[in-house]
Amino acid sequence: MSDQTTTPLSEFLLEARDLKKSYDNGAIEALRGVSLGIAAGDFLAITGPSGSGKSTLLHLLGGLDLATEGTVLFRGQPVGKSQNGVAAIDIDTYRARWAGFIFQSFHLLPALNALENVQVPMLGTGSHRRDREERARALLVELGLENRLSQYPNQLSAGERQRVAIARSLVNNPAVLLADEPTGNLDSVNSAKILELLAQIQERHGTTLIMVTHDLNIAATAHRHVAMRDGRICN
Amino acid sequence: MRLSFVGFAWRNVWRRRLRTALTLCGIGMGIGAFVALVGFSRSFEHAWLEMYENAGTDLAVVQKTFLNTSVDQSIAPVLQRIPQIAIAAPMIINMMAVTPEVNTLVYGWQANTFEFSALNILQGRRFRDGQQEVMLGELLAGSLNKKVGDTIDLQGGSFTVVGIFRSGSALEAGAIIMPLDQMQSLSGMSGKVTAFHIQLKPAPSGVSPDQWRQQAEDAVASALPGLRAVPAAERAANNQLVILAHAAAWGTSLIALLVAALGIANTMAMSVFERTKEIGVLRAMGWSRRRVMTLILIEAAALGVAGGVVGVALGWGALHILAMLPQTASIVSSTLPLRTLLDGLVMAILVGVAAGSIPAWRGAQLSPVEALRHE
Repeated sequence: MSDQTTTPLSEFLLEARDLKKSYDNGAIEALRGVSLGIAAGDFLAITGPSGSGKSTLLHLLGGLDLATEGTVLFRGQPVGKSQNGVAAIDIDTYRARWAGFIFQSFHLLPALNALENVQVPMLGTGSHRRDREERARALLVELGLENRLSQYPNQLSAGERQRVAIARSLVNNPAVLLADEPTGNLDSVNSAKILELLAQIQERHGTTLIMVTHDLNIAATAHRHVAMRDGRICN
Repeated sequence: MRLSFVGFAWRNVWRRRLRTALTLCGIGMGIGAFVALVGFSRSFEHAWLEMYENAGTDLAVVQKTFLNTSVDQSIAPVLQRIPQIAIAAPMIINMMAVTPEVNTLVYGWQANTFEFSALNILQGRRFRDGQQEVMLGELLAGSLNKKVGDTIDLQGGSFTVVGIFRSGSALEAGAIIMPLDQMQSLSGMSGKVTAFHIQLKPAPSGVSPDQWRQQAEDAVASALPGLRAVPAAERAANNQLVILAHAAAWGTSLIALLVAALGIANTMAMSVFERTKEIGVLRAMGWSRRRVMTLILIEAAALGVAGGVVGVALGWGALHILAMLPQTASIVSSTLPLRTLLDGLVMAILVGVAAGSIPAWRGAQLSPVEALRHE
């Protein structure tokens, strides 16, 4: 540990360096060497057909999984695994403090109401209970859910559920927001609203947004678009 | 609507109300059995101690190693010569089936023993040595429907009931007391007694009661090799019947607790399996493995605490019923000692945490991606 330094290895906020991910002892190669730099405040769309590796890339960028080979760097520091003597950011800490996730299926906890669901990422972060509630309430109000705070997920519409999930992803003020097909379970009206909301959040909060989608129209709303095929970036 | 870590855990436990309620019943039965059985055996021990204390017994002289002791009555003069000893009263204790339904403790005492000081004679008089006479505790007299002047058959001999007494000790209130010589004759212990109960002289100034008692114990050990003098509390705890009661209570309770633990383990394993995706969500939100494990352990401990409360209530109820039944009323107090109550709750929490540890560990090992893919 004594020879480890904290000299940044990258000028990007988030960078993927030659990421490879395989399963079943290499029998399945989901990523075959992906390199990508994402600047702070960027809005990146990742597209590709099923099995192209776009979700796997998102998982590695968000610290949900570790690459078989290669490195993810956040503010120049490797995530999860130290590299070239540079100490790594703990992967749980990275997810808790710097990354926020939005899923296609919302993944709200059914035993908790909207306000409580949003507080979950803050549990155990050392924040005061009252602060947690105030922060969660403020976000839900910002997302137009002030009248739905005490509703449980099964009492909310799909669009409302996704808005609660977005509030949850923002509650710890992440630097990067990672969205995996965020409109995949929504009708066109709600899809448009959620996309508009995400764009507003990205602008208002200056959050870096990485969105996986198979819809090229949605990808067109992003600042930048990366297409994937067979585990590689192809544009 | 402020969410706390423990509140979140409890919410998870309470989601499956029926399963949780059934698990609580299982834990409750286990802890209830523990509280009732251990409470019973401790009540039993307490009753012995109370009996010694009420009579003013400081020490009991018994055989060094045998739990069911037999001591020569002829050592009485040796004991009386020990300077710390005021009175050495020989006694026998045994159990007897008075009727097919009623078992009772039977004491053999001398008519002039100091141990009568703890008894309040309600009817009749004290028995006389050498006579086929007995005295009955009021509980036993009531259950046998005997009064002064009636006779009672013991080991083929007919004994006259000459007195009915009340005692603060449940062990005496349901017992028979008869002349020592008659008891020796009935039980084939001619010239033998179970123990000598000792009353000490007051400690001289400058000597503490504990030092005085220790001197008496040393003097007995030195004057009578093979015998020892034990304080009343130790005698109560090491009584053969008490040891058997403790062993039976703990043995049975442990089996019941094991069943309760399996119930919690099953519930927690099911709960973790059903919530695999949710655990993945928590991990995706940045929850560490340790925090996920803590959450599941708290859920298991919460089940234990709630089951413990149910169990303590059930055990307390069972003790109340035992204290009312004629067969057990004489040795069971309906009071639940604080120690037993705390033991029950601590045991419940430990059982909960131990049973929840494997499901918690398995839950914590889930990779976020794998957990999120779980269907």
